[in-house]
Amino acid sequence: MPRFALAIPAWAWLVVFFVAPVAMVVWFSFGYKPGIFGTHANDVLSFDRYVEALSPTFFTTFMNTLWIGLAGTALCLVIGLPVAYWMAVKAPPSRRGLLIALVMVPFWTNFLVRTIGWQVILAPEGWLSTLLQGVGVIDGPLDLLYTRTAVLIGVVYNYLPLMILPLYVAFDRVGTPLREASKDLGAGKWRTFARVTLPLSRPGVIAGVLLVFIPLMGDYITATVLGGAKGNMVGQLVASQFQTAQNWALGSAMAVLLILVIMVTVALGGLVVWLVTLPFRTRNRLVLGEPPSSEAADTPSASSVSGSGLADDGAASADRVPEEVAS
Amino acid sequence: MKRSWSDVALSVWGVLVFLFLFAPIIVIIVSAFNTGRLLVAWDGFGFDGFIALLEKPAIRDAVWVSVQTGAIAALVATVLGTLAGIAMARHPGKWVFWFIGLLLLVSVTPEIVDAVALLPWLVFLGQDAGLALFNDGVVRLVVGHSLFATAVVSYIVRARLVGLDAQLEEASSDLYAKPLTTFRRVTLPLAMPAVLAGFLLSFTLSLDNTVIAAFVQVSGTTPWPVYVLSALRSGLRPEIASVSTIMLVLTLVALGLVAFVLRRAGDSATQIARTMTGN
Amino acid sequence: MTHTRTPVRILASESAAKVIRSELSRRRFLSFAAAASATGLLAACSTGGGTSSAPQAVGAELEDALSIYTWGDYDNPDVLSAFTDELGPAITLDSFGSNEELISKLVAAKGTSGYDLVVPTGVFIPQMIENGLLQELNLDLIPNLEFMDPAFLGRAWDPDNAYSICKAWGTTGFVYDKTVISRELTSWADFLDAAQNEASGKTSVLDDPGDLTGMYFWANGIDWNTTDAGELAAAEDFLVNTLAPNISAFDSYPGGAAIPQGTHVLMQSWNGDARIGILESPDPDRWQWVFPGPETEIWMDNWAIATGAPNPEAAHAFINYVLTPENQLMQLDYIGYHTGATGIEAAAAEAELPMLDLVFFTPEQIATMREGEVNDAQQARVDIWNTTKAAAGA
Repeated sequence: MPRFALAIPAWAWLVVFFVAPVAMVVWFSFGYKPGIFGTHANDVLSFDRYVEALSPTFFTTFMNTLWIGLAGTALCLVIGLPVAYWMAVKAPPSRRGLLIALVMVPFWTNFLVRTIGWQVILAPEGWLSTLLQGVGVIDGPLDLLYTRTAVLIGVVYNYLPLMILPLYVAFDRVGTPLREASKDLGAGKWRTFARVTLPLSRPGVIAGVLLVFIPLMGDYITATVLGGAKGNMVGQLVASQFQTAQNWALGSAMAVLLILVIMVTVALGGLVVWLVTLPFRTRNRLVLGEPPSSEAADTPSASSVSGSGLADDGAASADRVPEEVAS
Repeated sequence: MKRSWSDVALSVWGVLVFLFLFAPIIVIIVSAFNTGRLLVAWDGFGFDGFIALLEKPAIRDAVWVSVQTGAIAALVATVLGTLAGIAMARHPGKWVFWFIGLLLLVSVTPEIVDAVALLPWLVFLGQDAGLALFNDGVVRLVVGHSLFATAVVSYIVRARLVGLDAQLEEASSDLYAKPLTTFRRVTLPLAMPAVLAGFLLSFTLSLDNTVIAAFVQVSGTTPWPVYVLSALRSGLRPEIASVSTIMLVLTLVALGLVAFVLRRAGDSATQIARTMTGN
Repeated sequence: MTHTRTPVRILASESAAKVIRSELSRRRFLSFAAAASATGLLAACSTGGGTSSAPQAVGAELEDALSIYTWGDYDNPDVLSAFTDELGPAITLDSFGSNEELISKLVAAKGTSGYDLVVPTGVFIPQMIENGLLQELNLDLIPNLEFMDPAFLGRAWDPDNAYSICKAWGTTGFVYDKTVISRELTSWADFLDAAQNEASGKTSVLDDPGDLTGMYFWANGIDWNTTDAGELAAAEDFLVNTLAPNISAFDSYPGGAAIPQGTHVLMQSWNGDARIGILESPDPDRWQWVFPGPETEIWMDNWAIATGAPNPEAAHAFINYVLTPENQLMQLDYIGYHTGATGIEAAAAEAELPMLDLVFFTPEQIATMREGEVNDAQQARVDIWNTTKAAAGA
């Protein structure tokens, strides 16, 4: 039996239902749309659809999508990080299970329904508008719905739990002993956070950023519900080429470009993080005694090794920050 | 011990973020009791939305389709993903590199791309290739929902087993257990927490899947998110909020039961949460 | 598959308009129009009907389900639930925002969409038949056709009603918020002007290629079915560069939520949907419906059965069911469109239904309405719509 025998069913399933159809889309993207009721034709192959997809108007949509993707991910990180830290470190241990469950609750309500909840809240005739006007914060009706800001609120809301959870697990894994050690060695709490807790939870940060950024780039429903015309994302462009314009060739080209944009952004992001942290890593690498062998023993608890798969994969490629404590 | 200002700030921030997470859900729960025609325009308090649920079979059918496809898709993804995860952890080799590459590709592909690719493909299989199976609405939804979930389960199971070394399995085979017995009696129980977590996660993902479902669905087996998406067009009725509220309460009860059972089994709160969130 | 077709003109409005405008009644106008376009129907027949299948319903027992793919909020929920109560089939409703969306779905699914009844606009029907998207009706199962006004049957796109039966007809206008826009708006030019001024960033337009481009042509006195490349380019330039930055939403159904919620101040809207929205608004006096000049649209949507419909018996039973006079009146009361039933205007007036001025139009108004065409410019209109959407998001 070959070593990969057990993986054959999953491999076959993904080849038939993922690789084959996506390959078909890539093939379509080199074709063209023949006439009103034709969806695609491939007798003449060209890159013309890619040129069309990158025409100034559509290019702007790509840039907007990227902007919302990056801004949304950054906001999720900035908002989620303190919460995850609070849950993992400051909140009483007996409450942590409950807090995690609470973070999950939005997941158990349909994502469209929760987005509509925001539509109700942000409406100019809604209660938030009335409240803010009553308090005197704003003069006229709340002017948020169908703006870029509303889109950001919506995507941050919908993807925040995906950021908090891996961060929580990562902070939790760092454990109290290492932080205590850091303090015993004279580091203040900010220094401990910056030099010990944060570097050690890097796999969680990476997992969270990927878990938020990738689906966010493809999402267009949140953006359309809250942003109206201003929430036009690449996903919307792709969808309308298939759902309304019946131009499968152009839609396919846009879809392929979307995947490329995501991959390139993730790769660039990884490179930037790697470069930025390079000096810190060399500075932190204060080796006490025998370097690599103690790594497993230092890991706070055996169970936590089973942690988030994505986190582990993210960490596998990046070299681990040594577990030895920085002075 | 006096709490420092930064701890207080953290707590305040935490509470604010939780309020943020719950704001729209509270709005939805309140709207469930709206007697007006539109969910968004408050009219009066009443149970009309819940009564509509009894009168409209389409809503019940949609929820049922979602639960059904969610369970089947999660089962498919869990079986495929568990086997693949075990293979990656226990039979590593060069192939793992390529296989993880495939899983990563599945993970970075946005849903909308899967959606536009799957519809023509499933129609091709069903109509042109004559595999009538793929004209069935449930089959199409299961296929669509299982892709990302399979990748996720594979990751989780692999991560779990990589962390536990293979001594037990080796001991088992040293004691002359057949490979199948070792798999069933040792490997699978070791992977079980990850398998369960993967199943729950796949089920949740499937229940919430709107984009792929909207493309591949066959009307008549319309899942709940697609029903909501369609209702969004023409103004949402309060009954949508009522159904969401009921579903939320039911899932919370189910989660509570799972937590209770796991706690009886001796897991700590954090471990329970980890299992549920797939960590 | 034929890619370009002879356009089928339906309402012979331009040529007939001068004669008609003076005194013809609406009904006579429409029957006249039907007759005038009878010449065009030969074109529709000669190329059509090749690929579609014969009726599958024979009057057997009804299936227990029925799936309807229609425009948003387009049936009275009471009529739907009464149908299920009386005859059994449970109804699944799904909605689209433009004919293009309906057709894309049917083309992509190749008969596996699962939809039984679909509701295309008349002008799209010949090509839908030609592409095998629709299935022939068995009129023996629809005896209630007798309650329909003949003026709305046998239209050029389907002269024998072999594939379709009138569901409702209406027009396109707009609604504005009087508390924000203090001047009086009366024309499409006013709409476009207000959209760039008082209502900038608070304007919604229909998510429909024909109506989006139509607006520009109506305002500028150009035939909205033009295939002239220069006119189409001018429309694209205006919509993409001038109008798009002011658009806050592409919404085919502002009556569903935007009017009751007061989300926008200026909204292009179909008449029945505007009526629903104003009736639902907590403050109906705030909203003004405009039947805009100098020209605007007339459309007629039709019941039709999709190829591959899993429940053809139930579909026929449903069409027959909604055609009874009581149900037609209930439908009109809810959706706010003329359903084409004989004497429905009098019945609606007698029942004292609200806001009938948004439902029934004077002969003078009808004389300014123009029907669309599916012609060589179809692709260009869809492309303009796409580009405008992308530009509005920038």
